[in-house]
Amino acid sequence: MAQPIIEIKNLIKKFGDRTVLDGVHAVIPEGKITVIMGGSGCGKSTLLRHLIGLHRPTSGEVWVDGKNIAGLDEPGMNDVRKKFGMLFQGSALFNSMTVGENVAVPLKEHTDLSPEIIRIIVRVKLELVGLTGFENFMPHEISGGMKKRVALARAIALDPKIVFYDEPGAGLDPITASMIDRLILDLSKKLSITSVVVTHEMKSAFRIADQIIILQKGKVLQVGTAEDIQNSTNAYVQQFIQGEPEGAIPFKQTSEAYLKGLLDT
Amino acid sequence: MKETCGKVGRTTFLLLAGIARIWELGSEVGRFFLTSFVRPKTIPRETFFRQMVLIGIDSTAIVSLVGAAVGTVLALQAAYSLKTFGAVMYTGSLVGVAMARELGPLIAAIVICGRIGARMAAELGTMRVQEEVDALTTMAINPVRFLVLPRVLALAIMLPCLSVIADVMGMLGGYLIGITGLGINSYVYISKTIDALVLKDIYTGLAKSFIFSILIALVSCHQGLTVSGGADAVGKATTQAVVISIVLIIVVDCLATAVIYYALPT
Repeated sequence: MAQPIIEIKNLIKKFGDRTVLDGVHAVIPEGKITVIMGGSGCGKSTLLRHLIGLHRPTSGEVWVDGKNIAGLDEPGMNDVRKKFGMLFQGSALFNSMTVGENVAVPLKEHTDLSPEIIRIIVRVKLELVGLTGFENFMPHEISGGMKKRVALARAIALDPKIVFYDEPGAGLDPITASMIDRLILDLSKKLSITSVVVTHEMKSAFRIADQIIILQKGKVLQVGTAEDIQNSTNAYVQQFIQGEPEGAIPFKQTSEAYLKGLLDT
Repeated sequence: MKETCGKVGRTTFLLLAGIARIWELGSEVGRFFLTSFVRPKTIPRETFFRQMVLIGIDSTAIVSLVGAAVGTVLALQAAYSLKTFGAVMYTGSLVGVAMARELGPLIAAIVICGRIGARMAAELGTMRVQEEVDALTTMAINPVRFLVLPRVLALAIMLPCLSVIADVMGMLGGYLIGITGLGINSYVYISKTIDALVLKDIYTGLAKSFIFSILIALVSCHQGLTVSGGADAVGKATTQAVVISIVLIIVVDCLATAVIYYALPT
């Protein structure tokens, strides 16, 4: 296995009384694609937000590229942030800027390159995601799949070591979603970028993952390759893969409490 | 009784907490502004110029119109009272002083508050909801520097300019009523206006206008950036931005006038 680039140690996050992450341990190897999977509300998005420093843990450590980001202040965190890119679920493009300007934002802010060089880099990045010639379009003039690709071009503008993807296939048709998967694979292989993908789409996960981490109720349930997960004997994992409404997790989760509540009032 | 006290206490607490957060945002903007002298790139230039056009040039017409209308009404109402003392020819002085000291800055601020404050809150609120603000943070770009700083600076430059336009248009409105409706001689009207106005009237008006601009920009950006939720929350933030800004403008205006004209030595 490759060197770990991210290590999560006993990460706990509480929002008020609600514990969302309950002692997560995980290791993400360098240069590989790691998929974090789990049902809605299992804490996978919260975990991702910890990795990019948008949330601070209640306790525990998050080591990214040799630094414990749980203890970093804002300037220190920003130094780490320059090493990674992030693809948001809704693309999060700046609507008042053109596609080209969007991709240029990190370059303008973090480098002293001349506008001509920036223009060339923007073109190269857009070519990487297959959108040559779209520089002057506004985000509302292009489709959802194209927006995702522009957002990806922006995420890799500064040649990051790690790229995080939040539900890259969400809201896209199967063909576009598989194109995005192809891009993730390409970037990972060609540029040896470490990818961390949060998703609940099984097909996509099995297609791209070198390692899969399954979360349930804020804890790591299983870690393994796509094959390990498919052959898992864990009832919940099987239910999740098959997409069955009944199984380890019952369809009606609170029937007893519900009856009690009805009778009490 | 107990309930009322509790409610008053909570409201006061919320108000103070709100003021503290706006103060915090303001000091952060101030720090970035100071940094910009060392590192000019701190100010995102494109947003800054885009905002200046939007606030300044695009609002000139409406500020002129409202300013002229207020000047006209003021002249008409003032003449009614001045007539009882046979002092109609002092209408020009009254309109000039009132516009320069008070109404020009106030009218410009309130128009801009509705036009630009609401827009800032809605724009930043939508950006927050659509994760654009988070995207900036993950790109190691401080949202306050990238979004709030250029808006505060653009407004701080443009609002005093607009209040001068409102001053002039108000005096022009008063002048037109004075020489047509009230039958005052054009030369008398102008000379009375110039005699009454002193430099202090102009620069205190400008100073007030500058303070209003900072208030509007900070309150609106703060409301926008702290949105959490969806469309409903953006709507609420927009309304609050306008209401809070207007209330603060009028309260601060009251205090500033009291300090400038009564507490400070003349």
